[in-house]
Amino acid sequence: MHLPDGFVSVPVALSTGILSGGVLWVSLQKTSSTYGSRHAVVLGLTTAFIFAAQMINFPIFGGTSGHLLGGGLAGALLGNPWSAILCITTVLIIQALLFADGGITALGANILTMGIGSVSMAWILSRTLLAVFGGNKKYLPIASGIGAAISVLGTSLACAIILALSGISEASIIIPSMAGIHLFIGVGEGIITGSILAYLLKVRPDLLPGEENTFRGILFPVIIIFLLAGIVSLFASALPDGLESVAQNLGFKNLRENSSNVVQTPFSRYEINGLGQIGKSMAGLLGALVCFGIAFVIARIVKDKNA
Amino acid sequence: MLEFSLKLRLYLSLLLVVGTALVKIENWISLFIYIIVSIFWVVLLRVKVEKLFKILSLQILFLGILVLPQGYERAGFLLLRSLVCLVFLISFLLSIPAHTFGSIIRSLPLPAPLKLNLYFSVHFLEKLKIEIEKMNLSAQLRGLNGTTSWIRYTNASMIGSLYIRTLEKAERVNKAMYLRGFSGEFPPEKILQTKERIILNAILFLVSVITLGSYFFD
Repeated sequence: MHLPDGFVSVPVALSTGILSGGVLWVSLQKTSSTYGSRHAVVLGLTTAFIFAAQMINFPIFGGTSGHLLGGGLAGALLGNPWSAILCITTVLIIQALLFADGGITALGANILTMGIGSVSMAWILSRTLLAVFGGNKKYLPIASGIGAAISVLGTSLACAIILALSGISEASIIIPSMAGIHLFIGVGEGIITGSILAYLLKVRPDLLPGEENTFRGILFPVIIIFLLAGIVSLFASALPDGLESVAQNLGFKNLRENSSNVVQTPFSRYEINGLGQIGKSMAGLLGALVCFGIAFVIARIVKDKNA
Repeated sequence: MLEFSLKLRLYLSLLLVVGTALVKIENWISLFIYIIVSIFWVVLLRVKVEKLFKILSLQILFLGILVLPQGYERAGFLLLRSLVCLVFLISFLLSIPAHTFGSIIRSLPLPAPLKLNLYFSVHFLEKLKIEIEKMNLSAQLRGLNGTTSWIRYTNASMIGSLYIRTLEKAERVNKAMYLRGFSGEFPPEKILQTKERIILNAILFLVSVITLGSYFFD
């Protein structure tokens, strides 16, 4: 998934470089308070460990193989996303400079997708799942495994979008091909990440981060989810989705309008009548809130039964 | 060229890589200039061409698959531009001994904590590689590396125990370094000599002219 030199256009290289530099600066500030120079050796060796773990390939199918990306694993082992971002960034710099794997001008894009993107996605997903499971450490392997698996798919999509934005390949070609192969690699990543953490939980549980306060643990993911639902939904495409497009082409799109059995819902077409753009944002927020509430109640019921 | 410091050689290769990578798409004249420079670069660093081509051949396959749908001319340019970048960097890497990787890291213009992390990671990579080889061998001797399903607990437990070994080693090294007076900072680094700085600035000027020129003159 490493983008090589010459495959990222100047505007994309500059913008991803600036963005990655900014996040990296914040990561360095955050890790200096938790790690500092005293633990530089520990962080350095954990980075070397992630690098080494990436060398272990697992077969997928048809003679191809995948290897760990390590974003989810680094986050779970180090216990905070900032150190994990620093860790994966270091791996990417080493790979680019000493192994010519990934370009120098594409370093910003690679750090943004495989470092920042992969770690953040895996972290947010795993923490949310862990919080839903009640913050119990024994669920860390499954939560981190699922987070790591989905983060690989997300990272591959981000990588494909960067290639499309750079004009190297058409989005319609690169996105399905990248997503297709990384779906399987993601499953492998999830299983390996989960299994490593399960092993460590069994052998040396003291090495893994401690129990989390449920509400503190879910605060950050919840804020992100609501920001996405409330703000990003405003920029959603107005074009028809896959099914609508097929319906339009096959001429059965108007069936719904002509039907007499349509039940009116409060937020039909993700809008609140009379509120315009604010209504769209509010519908997104309320939808996310309802989903979160249902999931939370189910998780509490399941937890109480298992307790 | 060979008597120049490692730092200058690193900066020159990075400069040439960046210059080549940023050449405007389908400006063949600028790319041709960089191809000529890359040939000189390989000769000056006395790189074994056979070894260089062996590494490049792996990349050609991957890059080719990615760009071929773009049409032959555009794909040819993208592939060639990417390969020239690789020639600059791989030639530099092949011309230096592995134990100087630490010095390369120290020469990079990066924030001190990141440089420290990079330095320790590179320093211990070789040691971890030996650990992995040992673990792989012992797994094979126990018949654990067969052709069974890839969902193997063996892989995970191997990586897990590697992490435990890594942390134990890190703790020992950390204590030993502090006992020897390590304060978390590197000693001051050697700066470039006047002659080297002149060369670096001259190459920077030439690279800027060629790359920026590719956007203004077709």
